[in-house]
Amino acid sequence: MVHSLKPQTWLVLYLLSVVAITFIHTPVVLAALLGAAMFGAGRHVLGILRQTLLATIAFNLTVSLGYVVISLWQANFRGEYLLLVNIRVLLLVFMGFWLVKSVDLLDALSRFPLLRLIATLAISQIKTFERILRDFRMAFQSRNLRQPKILDRTRHAAAQAHTLLDKSMASANQAALAMRSRGAFDD
Amino acid sequence: MHIPDGFLSPQTYLPAYVVAAGAWSWGTKGLRDSLDETTVPRLAMLTALAYGLGLVMVPIPGGTSGHALGIAILALVFGVRSAFVAYSLVLLLQSLLFGAGGITALAVNALAIGLIGAAAAVATRNLLRGLGDTASIAIAAWVSVVVPGLLVAITLGIQPLVAHTSDGSPLFFPFGLSVTLPAVLIPHVVIGIGEAVLTVLVLRYVKSRKWSIV
Repeated sequence: MVHSLKPQTWLVLYLLSVVAITFIHTPVVLAALLGAAMFGAGRHVLGILRQTLLATIAFNLTVSLGYVVISLWQANFRGEYLLLVNIRVLLLVFMGFWLVKSVDLLDALSRFPLLRLIATLAISQIKTFERILRDFRMAFQSRNLRQPKILDRTRHAAAQAHTLLDKSMASANQAALAMRSRGAFDD
Repeated sequence: MHIPDGFLSPQTYLPAYVVAAGAWSWGTKGLRDSLDETTVPRLAMLTALAYGLGLVMVPIPGGTSGHALGIAILALVFGVRSAFVAYSLVLLLQSLLFGAGGITALAVNALAIGLIGAAAAVATRNLLRGLGDTASIAIAAWVSVVVPGLLVAITLGIQPLVAHTSDGSPLFFPFGLSVTLPAVLIPHVVIGIGEAVLTVLVLRYVKSRKWSIV
């Protein structure tokens, strides 16, 4: 059923759920909601769960360990707090990834044309950056059989940064000219 | 310095969304007025750069993360209004695509980094213009990291006071100001130096391509 919803409906439901979740302070209820969200995600559940754990583990471990140390030192440790905050974060981040997996983000932003325009261009630039960085890294590795010196790596980084910005600028220029020719700046 | 999802109480993030909605409306109007086929590709490129810079992050015990921002670059090239909208988009993409930051923390992160950080950068640059380009841009970039860091630390540090159970147990972020202020600010004083170097280098590139800066 959830997969037949319109992107905008998904977005509204997601935002309402996020607000509602932050008003719930019972770990068992949050765990049940996490279970329900995992069930709703269907065949994507393992991928989304993996993504969620990778995205949250560093922060949650840092805060949780910090809390354990400080609260034990101050003799006011409460295990329920740790459960509450970790399940809540897992649920919120899981919901976000589930949204992205289920809807086209740019479609969901269709009510905000300016935001969608910048988002489209920025995402295309991000893809350009990723491609250039990958190409440079592979080229650099293939030309260095031994560990390169710091000076070589610095030169490589500087050349890479210049190319990155120039190529990105050229590709964004092309996109903007295409938009100009279609009347995107006439309104 | 993103605040992640789940650590801010609704008493904090809902009012922040109200303030941010007004600021986004103001910023969007400014952005719309300045957009043309010259500014759009530049904005897209530097927005993508800020996005990339923000993803290389390390967790900081104070409940946030350490990474370069790129907000001074955006602010000094496009001004506060456009930089604020562009950085808000960066935060939205980072939170939805990578789980960095989050929807509940978006408004606070956007106001602290995107609006106050950008305003701090432009104000510092204008104030110190007499020191020359390199020094004024470097100090502006450093300030654009440290001031939002202070705001983020305060926002996190008041959570135990704002939202707790009847027995005093925290409901959201557990540490008070005595922990968050040093834990967030000290690393960001150092990160600000890296941000300063990066901003100076990128703005030199920008000037070499004959773009104007603030």
